[in-house]
Amino acid sequence: MIALAARNEQTTVAARLASRSDLTAFFMNLTDEIGADGYMLVAIAQDQERDNLQIIASNWIYDAIQLAGHALIAGLAQGPFASAPGGRPQSLIASQAPGVLGGEEARLLDILGHAEIFALRLHVGRQRLFVLFSAAEAGRIDPTVMPRTQLECCYALSQAPSVLAAATLQDPLSDRERECLFWVSEGKTTDEVALILGVSANTVNSYITHAIQKLSASNRAMAIATAIRSGII
Amino acid sequence: MSYPQAKQLGRASNCEQDASCTSHAAAIGLPAVTLADAAKRCRWIAVDLGARDFALCLASADSSRLTPCFDSDYPSTMSAARLLGGGIGEHLMRHARQSTAPCWWADDADTAQAFSALAWTSRIEPLARSGRGIAFPVYTDRGQVGLFIFAGPELSPDPQSLHDLHGRCFALFDAVARINATQSREMPSMSRREIECLKLTSRGYTSEEIAKLLKLSVHTANQYLTQTTQKLNAVNRMHAVAKALRLGLID
Repeated sequence: MIALAARNEQTTVAARLASRSDLTAFFMNLTDEIGADGYMLVAIAQDQERDNLQIIASNWIYDAIQLAGHALIAGLAQGPFASAPGGRPQSLIASQAPGVLGGEEARLLDILGHAEIFALRLHVGRQRLFVLFSAAEAGRIDPTVMPRTQLECCYALSQAPSVLAAATLQDPLSDRERECLFWVSEGKTTDEVALILGVSANTVNSYITHAIQKLSASNRAMAIATAIRSGII
Repeated sequence: MSYPQAKQLGRASNCEQDASCTSHAAAIGLPAVTLADAAKRCRWIAVDLGARDFALCLASADSSRLTPCFDSDYPSTMSAARLLGGGIGEHLMRHARQSTAPCWWADDADTAQAFSALAWTSRIEPLARSGRGIAFPVYTDRGQVGLFIFAGPELSPDPQSLHDLHGRCFALFDAVARINATQSREMPSMSRREIECLKLTSRGYTSEEIAKLLKLSVHTANQYLTQTTQKLNAVNRMHAVAKALRLGLID
């Protein structure tokens, strides 16, 4: 509650996040203000078999990340408890969620000091990110400040495109490659795309091959799916 | 979360805020609001902002254009066209691709002074004089992009409630996206097998691999994929995957 009061007084015009350390400082402050102990900002890219987790920033101890494992963290971030902006964030209390977490996983999170977790979905422009806030004891984080916190994270990260791009390699495609992929996703054949863009069919094929490689996809369909999921097209 | 649990949650939380109720209702599978409802809800947000005009615009799939969805003249979209004039549409589209933060424009210095106290927001400079306005970028999990635009001579956003209003815009957009999805889904429903094949295709599997995984013959797997392509009114497999992802049939 004290944290909440302090937060309301603070109607400052927020500073720009210019570097990685600014990003870390922002999240450390926010974590402190809402009464949480830990934060983790992640991006998730979907692969053939599993979700590829990319940790952009976090103050979890190294052991916690290793022990919990990427699969569990990705599961928490994307799970049914993760709320979109405009929703009502619900906390996940490790010891009380047998349906969501296995007994061993719940125990692990408890030991590691993440007894209560809020998972928030973020939209930063067209990019999707996830943030986890956790506290060692259930009930320490005030759920009523979470909707505001969620948008605050979206706003702050929107100010740091260069920091994010470096961290996630978002949108690695060139304009031409993206254009080709878009037309293919609209059902156009190589020849049709060539006609639309006014280049030769070979050029179109080479653009698309590059795009497939850059997105580490195995064929056109997967490249399109990956691009749509990550908001590139 | 099972349905009864979700229902309990919905009942337990006291629904004062109309917009978040909508998202709750949608989350537990109750019928989503109609477009007329959505326009009405948007009007309440406009009232809280002191705005005279409002509009929800949707970005095209390649995010190059904004098309009006509804506005303060519902069911016509006259004021949206007016709001997007003066080059504001292009500015907003460019902004929404990169940033979730609200952006605003103002003609006179006093208003600009007042608006610049809004944390995290940025100013855009329209080519023509266009009064004052503020726009909130909104997104769904399925990658749709939209913009809520509010304008009018009396517009005066309160720095304290900006997050709250933006949250309501997000919830409303989610509801509108659901209405659009159900409306455009006139095709016969997909079978479980068809969805499965489509999902695997989107993950990069070839027909042969799908056949092996699902213990089908290659012909059957191909047959399923052809059916989905027809049902989605797509011209080929790539198109079908893209359409299914955008409609939210697969994720």
